[in-house]
Order: sequence, then structure tokens, then C-alpha cells
Amino acid sequence: MAEQTVKFIVNGRSYEIPIEPQMTLVEVLRDKLDITGTKISCGAGECGACTVLIEGKPVLSCLTLAITAREKNILTIEGLAKGNDLHPIQKAFIDNGSIQCGFCTPGMILTAKTLLDENPNPTRGEVKKALAGNLCRCTGYVKIIDAVLVAAEEMRKGGS
Amino acid sequence: MTRPLKPFDYFEPTTIKEAVQILGRYGTKAKLLAGGVDLVARMRRRQIQPQYVVSILRIPGLDYIHSDEAGLSFGALATIRSIELSPIVKNDYTVLNEAASQIASVQVKTMGTAVGNLCVATPASDIATALYALGAKLRIAGPAGERTIPVEDFFVGVNQTVLEPGEIVTEVMLPSPAPQTGGAFFKLVRTAADIAKVNVAVSLTVTDNTCREARIVLGSVAPTVIRATQAEEALRSSTLEPKVVEEVAQLAAGKAKPITDLRSTIEYRREMVRVLVRRAVKKALTRAKA
Amino acid sequence: MTEEFSVVGKRITQVDAVAKATGAARYTVDLKLPGMLIGRVLHSPYPHATIKKIDRSKAEKLPGVEAVITVDDTPKILWTRSFRDLPMTPSGSIQHADEYILADKARYVGDPIAAVAAVDEKTADEALDLIEVEYEELPFVLDPWKAMKPGASLVHDYAENNIAVHLTPPPFLVKGDVEKGFAESDVVVEENFFASKQVGAHLETAACVASIDANGKITCYSPCQLAHPFRRELGKMFNKPVGKINVISPFVGGSFGIRLSCHNEPICIALAMKAAKPVKLVYTKEEDFTCIDTRTPHYFTVKMGFKKDGTLNAFTVHTTTWAGGYLSRAQLAGGITLLWALGHYRCPNTNGACDVVYTNTTLSGAMRGFGNPAVSWATEQVMDIAAEKLGMDPLELRLKNIKYAGEPSNMGLPTESSFEEECIRVGAERIGWEEKRGKKREGTVRRGVGMAAMMHCSGAHPLLLEHSGAIIKLNEDGSASLIVNPGSPGTHIWGTLSQIAAEELGISAEDINIVTGSTDATMFDLGSHASRSTYVTGNAVLMAAREAKGQLLERAAKKLGVSPDELDIKNRLVFVKRDPKKSISVAELAFDAIYNFKGECQTISGKCSFESRWNSPPTAAYFAEVEVDTETGEVKVIKFISSQDCGTAINPMTVEGQCEGGIQQGIGYGLTEDYVINKDTGVVESDNFTTYKMPGTLDMPETEIIIINKPDPKGPFGAKGVAEPGLVGIAPAIANAIYDAVGVRINDLPVTPEKVLAALKAKSAWKD
Repeated sequence: MAEQTVKFIVNGRSYEIPIEPQMTLVEVLRDKLDITGTKISCGAGECGACTVLIEGKPVLSCLTLAITAREKNILTIEGLAKGNDLHPIQKAFIDNGSIQCGFCTPGMILTAKTLLDENPNPTRGEVKKALAGNLCRCTGYVKIIDAVLVAAEEMRKGGS
Repeated sequence: MTRPLKPFDYFEPTTIKEAVQILGRYGTKAKLLAGGVDLVARMRRRQIQPQYVVSILRIPGLDYIHSDEAGLSFGALATIRSIELSPIVKNDYTVLNEAASQIASVQVKTMGTAVGNLCVATPASDIATALYALGAKLRIAGPAGERTIPVEDFFVGVNQTVLEPGEIVTEVMLPSPAPQTGGAFFKLVRTAADIAKVNVAVSLTVTDNTCREARIVLGSVAPTVIRATQAEEALRSSTLEPKVVEEVAQLAAGKAKPITDLRSTIEYRREMVRVLVRRAVKKALTRAKA
Repeated sequence: MTEEFSVVGKRITQVDAVAKATGAARYTVDLKLPGMLIGRVLHSPYPHATIKKIDRSKAEKLPGVEAVITVDDTPKILWTRSFRDLPMTPSGSIQHADEYILADKARYVGDPIAAVAAVDEKTADEALDLIEVEYEELPFVLDPWKAMKPGASLVHDYAENNIAVHLTPPPFLVKGDVEKGFAESDVVVEENFFASKQVGAHLETAACVASIDANGKITCYSPCQLAHPFRRELGKMFNKPVGKINVISPFVGGSFGIRLSCHNEPICIALAMKAAKPVKLVYTKEEDFTCIDTRTPHYFTVKMGFKKDGTLNAFTVHTTTWAGGYLSRAQLAGGITLLWALGHYRCPNTNGACDVVYTNTTLSGAMRGFGNPAVSWATEQVMDIAAEKLGMDPLELRLKNIKYAGEPSNMGLPTESSFEEECIRVGAERIGWEEKRGKKREGTVRRGVGMAAMMHCSGAHPLLLEHSGAIIKLNEDGSASLIVNPGSPGTHIWGTLSQIAAEELGISAEDINIVTGSTDATMFDLGSHASRSTYVTGNAVLMAAREAKGQLLERAAKKLGVSPDELDIKNRLVFVKRDPKKSISVAELAFDAIYNFKGECQTISGKCSFESRWNSPPTAAYFAEVEVDTETGEVKVIKFISSQDCGTAINPMTVEGQCEGGIQQGIGYGLTEDYVINKDTGVVESDNFTTYKMPGTLDMPETEIIIINKPDPKGPFGAKGVAEPGLVGIAPAIANAIYDAVGVRINDLPVTPEKVLAALKAKSAWKD
């Protein structure tokens, strides 16, 4: 099918780019827009590394046809910090040793954000459930969960 | 990297009628897109290669979950996540809530629709297993008009449904549960985020210590989700003692026709049907009496 | 311990964490070079086949395709992923180089046959489908037992009965008289075990970007853990002097030992040469599961004989190592199981052997622990079996036989330090061993506790080359650039090295800039493996920093009118020890040395090429509490304690992270990760996370990491390795806990509910 020019709104900025319907959102982000913080790992919807937020909801960009995401607000990891001010979740990940190789980190942080946006005071068990679709091979998840709880507390104090 | 998908022509109808027309025109060369979780993953593996993809995402008014005295209904675009979070589903259609909750990935549940899950027609579908137990009916729109069928009549085999070219499932309807009805859903997996080795859903209606209605549903142990009808019969005409429950579980295990695959073995699956049915019946009974 | 340190022992955050948390970090998969093409590889669909003909004409004609290559487009020079034809061992090369860059014959499903480079992914993908290969299928062997049968088809003509090599332990582990030892023993246990393949499953797949400049110099962006040896191997493969190759290491999305080997890099370089343009080659997840190394699987026969007081008297191990279609690292992985096993406990009579067997299956390489997790799976269960026969607590049996400082380690060197006893005692107390162990179990769901112990290594001296270098130079503001190349697999090694340097120089860890990732710019460093980086590169850094410190003290001495030995540095200030108010800042000294008009210009710096002539073995103990559902066979790990003797913990947060991650991998290895090869076709069925299950958040237990934190005499500030010890003994601890809970033992990994239930039924059938 012929290319069509489509508008994407990523991290508050608009882009008009030609795409074909079979392109997935993750390919458009990484290859067309050079926004490479969103990672591809399994391509099968199992690992969560490609997670982005569309209208605040966590989706797998490797299984999302880009055309279906047009003109919706897409948030990738690059859009989370405000200038040099890191989001409390990012700060907590850094401070708690939650990042080793870092490949799962963008997906983890964004998914964690959707949890805390819905549930500002989650239990450890609720954090685990929320991140059950994000795989990590380095950390054993322990310090990731710690960081989300630390960030939650920070955000409840108004650190958001 | 991930393999690029093969090109296709793409349509975004804005009404069901339009969607039916396009699907009808292209028949087996077309696939319907809703959440896309299964479609895109299988396209990537070259297991399916449609020439036409018809998205229903822009058809308004399909994502509802609606409840009244007649029962519960939800539309083709109701996500698994919205079903999981619905308080009414949690209270009155517990089996469906449990099935949705035990799908681990929030992202998959956010993208994936319950109807889409049904239409993939895998016998391991947690949603299908739960809907059988709840006596669900499916409303189907097609070129010849509309029809409604019980969910048990929807599946023909692995990845095969009764849908004719041009037909779309538009709604799932669940009858309001009778008083003293209880249900339970169990599944066994290798890790939490996994397709079931075995899944079981039971729904029982109990009056005066007798089981009036029983649905014992087995997933992952036949080419489709199945009901263990003999086991249900045995339960309905029984006095509900533990010994009977054990026999019922045994009968259910006899109905199973599992295979050995990378998730599990024939022997284990059959044995687990027995164990899970026993546990599910016990739990359903407790909930029914509560 | 570490109370006297300013920087070492502190939970300092990692300098690369911000880039990773904001999406700024670029991994090999993220790189783009101008004019770059996309590469893809065509793999054999057959486990064993002659390649009769390859017709690439249609692929070459597709618009946008700029190169299609087969083995004839590469210098046909045999190489091996383990780089063993490099002078890696003191005794020289002993491993056969058995593969070409692209296969001349298909020896496993996944063997790379041809490759394309095209303008985009879509074109490259289409081009692959247009390459026509005519195969003649051959008989194949998919497991070592079939492979060794007389008359079995040969994977490589040189290996009779498919046995690539027969290995024996090093002389220091061929001790005494094992026959006599067993005869003298009161209890003898002999059992067979299978330790399975495990996939590294690093989230970033195998990737490479390669470009050739106008002078024919190769720049290779690669996540390979051993950049300098890799460069040398490339030089051999492509007939190029090493100086004409630069290996650059971007951020790496996990390695776990799998990336000791290079995987698709040689193919990528060959494409770049043919196309005369940069090429990026990234594997899909399916290719990662099937076309690169996995953990080497082995079959073990372990025999241990004990005196009635529990003294280990005789010990033999026979390992049958299951190699794939090419040796990769299976040879060393197999041989070293003999050292891990026979060298851990004190024993007067030991011997063993290892057969490394070719099969037409996926490659067996190195993965975290390198044979120690596999053989400990066997030996640590035999210890428990023996303990039961001896009527001893398994804890006591370990304590009876572990080694202490001064005794010969598993590498045959004097054990520099060992606090294995503490590991065992503290861990036992924390899990509640006394209260929970060996109790009468009732009910459908039963709990149990189990343990395992181990000794590992900090680097591979004396078996392999141990050489790391470091340069440190002070910038004029008192910050320092630390030029090292340990790799960046995500283990926080840069932070660890910064802390070591900062401690020695008396400055802050955040004052250190790590300059790394280029073989052109850095001194030789073997790279990351064998838990060596903190211990060996760390010592190189320490000594380089010491040299720079000496220069600072010299210059400060002149300024302050004292002798250098009266001075020390702390908090960025050089001060007189007996009169700390007399001081001068490091920054001022550095500035003055650079912008110096008195004929004393100097960049204050230090340099060290360090060869580790020691190998201080880390030790550890692992404790698992499990819950077994006797009706379903499901095993849930409730709590896991990892008790580590890794010397001084330079950064406790880093050590914890390594051990917590190890628990995820150990639980996967032990319970859920099942690598399935179809017996009829040789095709790997478990080729993505859908089919191969590794633990997620909901599959993890409560964890506790105990760091004994007692210094080693040879490690930098007393540190030993910890990366692999974080994993080694987890699976057998779980197996031993299952036995405690329900009295069954599973000898083959992974311990699935199906196996547990079958064992429970067999047990009760036997009883009836």
C-alpha cells in the first residue's frame, strides 16, 4: 500500500512523516524519528521493553501499528523528564541501584508511571503485579520495586 | 530488531456495516484488527499474512461494559483491562474477573480486547474458559444480518471459529447470575506471565444443598475449550459431598484430551484437570453458599 | 573493614544511570552511521546438510540490495568463538578452530549460510526470501549419547565418534588413589545428573555495526565482552593487522557471559567489506535463542565417598559435555567443571574426566558461572544425599569439608582468603535453618529449606591470560580521567573502578570520568569474564592511581616544604598528616602542573599494566525456602538468601544487585527455563519468551543478600569477584529444599512440576 503522511505527537512535539500501514510504532519511533530510548527486544509482546504510553496508557509499541497511534499523545522515556528535572521515578531508579544494563529501564519506568498515576500508594505486591509484563534479566527486580515504592512516597509528598 | 511485517492494504471503517462489507469482500485474505496483540505477533512470525487489514478501532461505541437486570454485556472493543477493573464483573461475574486478572501483562490487557481474544480461538484462552462457565452468548454481525450464538458453539478447532467471511463478533452477553451462584477459575502456568497449561472454570448454582446448575469448563486440554458434561451431570444429581466432588473431578479428567507440548504433558494435564476441577468445585460451592 | 574508607564501601549511584533512565544511552542496536545499510542473515533450516548450490541472483537484483555474501566472499579462515587459537593459555592453543564466518556446510539449525546488506529492513527481509539454497539433508545427531554411538554421522570429520576432545583434570586435582579412597569410605554416593542449556536472554539481541574506512581500517561497534582479544581474532579472520581494527563498545544490554563470544560481528564486517558501506546487523529474539551461544549443557556422573565422621575421602566426576555444531566455548566449559567440582572441598583422592561431544544443535558457550552452576547442580545434591546417609546435617557436612585460607583453591593456588564458613553460618541463621529444617511435613502444601555452597574464582589465573591495564590522568580542575576497557555489560564496573581510583587518590567518585570503549584508545584489558574485572582491572586501576598519587604527593611536598611520606590525601586535599591544616588541594596541584611556567610541566598521571598472579576465590552459601504443592508438583520459592564472601564490597548496592539478578537467573535455571529442541527436526521450539519462560516480578521470592565483607589480601581494597557467585549455587539449594519439603529429588534440570509430581507419585507407589 502506498505511503501516506501521518502526524505523530511524541513527547509533546508533532511530526509529519510518511509511513506504510505495516510499520509498527516502535519502528517509526526508532528508525524514522531517531527516538531510540524505546527498545525492541522480543517483538512478541512478552518482555515489555518496547512499552510507551499512548494517552497515558501502557502499550507495546512493537505490536502497535503506527497508523493506529496517529494524532494521539505518545510518551516515550525521553519525554518524562522536564528539561534537567528528572521524574521522581527516574530519580528513584538512579538512587536505588535499580539500573544495571538499562535495556529494560525505559519500559519499566513508563509502566511504573502508569501504576503510580492510578494508585499513588501501592503495596509491594501491587507494584509486582503492575510490572509483571516487563522482563529484566539483570536486577532480579528487587531494586526496581524498591525504587517504585520510594518514588511513590516522594510523589505523595508532592515531589512530582 | 524485529522482523518487519509484510505489507498489506489497510482500512479503517467507521461503522460495523462498513467493516462487514470490507471483510466480506476480501474473505480469507483479510484480517480484523482490534488490539492487535495476537495479529501483529503472528504476522511477525509469518504465521499469517493477510493482504488486507481491517481495523475496527475507529468505530465508536464498541468499548462499553454495560450491566442491568438482564445481565452484563460488553462490546467488541472492551479491553481485558477494563473488564478486570470493572467492579460489577468482580462482584457478580467473578470467574471472568479471575480469568482477566490472571493474565499477567498490564500492557497486553490494555491493548487486548476480550472479543479479540475469543476470536483467536486458542483452546488455552482464559477468557473463553470463563465465558463458557458464565453461559455467554455472542452477537455476530455479518453480510446476512445478525445472529446470536452460545459461546460454546463459536469454536470449531484450534484457531478456528464459525465466523463466515464478513462476520464480526460485536458483543458478548452474560445472563444475570441466579441467586446462590458461585464460580471459580484456576489456571496452571510455568511462570506468571504464561499461556495456561490447563485452565478450569466452574460455575454452580446451589439450592437446598443441591446443585441446580453446573458448568465445568476445561481449557487447554482439547482442540477447543470444552465442557465436562458428564461431570456436570454427576454434580447436578448429587448430594455435594467430598466423595462426589472427587468423582466429578475424575469424570472431568476423563473428558480431557490433552496433548504433550512444550508447556506440559498429556499425563500431567489430565491429572491437573482432576485436581483443578476438585478445587474449583469446592471454591465455587463455598462462594455459592455465601 | 570498610568504615575507614571514604569512597570504597559506599552505595554510590552509577554515572551511566542517568543516560539509561532518560533514554539517552545508545546501545549497538541504536547506532546509526551515515550511509549505513541493514544486514540480515539466512540460516540453515536443517540440522545437518551439504550446501549444494546457492543462487543469489534474484536477491542481488532486488533494488536496494547492495551485497549478498556466502562463505566464498569471506577469507576462508577457520576460527573459534572461544578465541582459543589466540595465546590465551600459558600452554598455548588446545582447541580446534572449526567454523568459518559463514558455513560451508550446515551443522545445526540456525547455522549462518548467507547474508545480505540492503538500504532498509524491509528490503533486507525480502532479499533473504529471494536467496535460493539447495541443500542435501544428511543424517544428524541431536544429543551426545546418540552422537557417540559407533556409526553415528559425524558433525566434523576430525572428531571420531563426535568426541571433540577428552579432557582430564590438571595435575593438582589428580590426587591420591580414588579406588582405594572409595574402598576406604563408609558412605559412597554415585549419581547421574543433567544440567540443561540456558539462554542468556540479554534483552539487547546480538548486534554489530561495522564500517571500513578509506584506508581499510575496520571499526566494529560490538557488545562483545572481550574487546581486545576479539580485535585480535578479527585480525586473524580478516587477515588484517590488529592496528587496522578498532573495536568500540557502546552501552550493552546485558551479556551474562554469552557475549564473551562474538556472534554476528564477523558476518557484519564481511558485509561492510563487500558493500563498501557501513552495515548494521541485529539479530531478532528468535535468532538470539537459536543462532548464538547458550549455556553449555552437561551430563555428570558424580561419585563421592565419605568417612563416617563426614570427611570427604574420595571424589570423581565424569562430565559429558554437550557441544553444538561448533565447539564455541564448550571445551573450556566442560574441562573447567572438573576444577569447580574437585577443587571446592578438601579431599585427598580426586580424579575425573570430560568428553566434549559435538552434536547438530545450537552452540554451547559460556554463561555466568561457566560450568560451576552446572556441576554444583550435581555435587551439591550429592552432598545432601550423603549427609542423609551419614545421618548428618547437610550444613555440618559442608563445614567439615570446606577449605580455609592457605589451602589449595580450585585453581591450585593458595586460597588467599575464604570466609565460606561465615557464609554458611550466617545464612543458616537468617533462613531459620534450625527451626525449619528436617521437620515432619504434613498437608497438601509443604515447606522445606535447603542449601548449597560454592567456591569460584576472581579471574582465570593460572589457566588463562590475566592482563588488564589502566591509565589515570588528572585534569586541571582536579577531576580525573580513568582510561580502562573492562567492558560495560551492566555490572556497574565503571562505578566500582571509579570508587577504587577515587579512594586511592583521595578524591570523590564523581570526580572520575571513565574513558572507555575503544581498543584504539585503551590499554590491553582481557575484558569481562570469570568475575575478574573488580579484582584484576581493579588492581590495575589501584596501581595506576597509586602512581598518580605519588606524583601529587611529590609536588605537594615541594609546595608544603615537607617530605612526601608525611602527606596523605583525603576529600580532594593533600594534607600534612601531623598538621592537617597545612594542605593544598588536588585541583590546585593539577592546575599548577599543567599551566606551569617554572619548567615543571606535567599531566599528573599513572599507568599500570597488571597481570594477576593470584586468584582469590570468592565463596558463597545459598539458602532456599520452598513451598511444594503435592497435588500439582508446583514449587514456589518463598525466600532466598545469598550469602557472599566476595572480600570487601566496593559498592554494596552493586553487589546486592548482582546477587538479586543472580537469583532470577538461578530460579529460571532451576525451575522454569526449558530449552526444547525438536527430536525429529532439530529445530529449537523454545525460541522466544512466549515459549521459553524466565522469571518475572511475580515469580521472585523474598530475597536477602548477606555480604560478609571481610577483605582479601590480594584484591584491590580487599575485593574479590562476585558476578558469577551471585548465581552458582542457587539451583541445587532449591533442589535440596524440595527434598526437605517432600522427599523427592529431581536430577535433571529444570525441575518442572511435571517432574516433581511424577516423582511424588513414584515415591508413594513404591511405598504402597
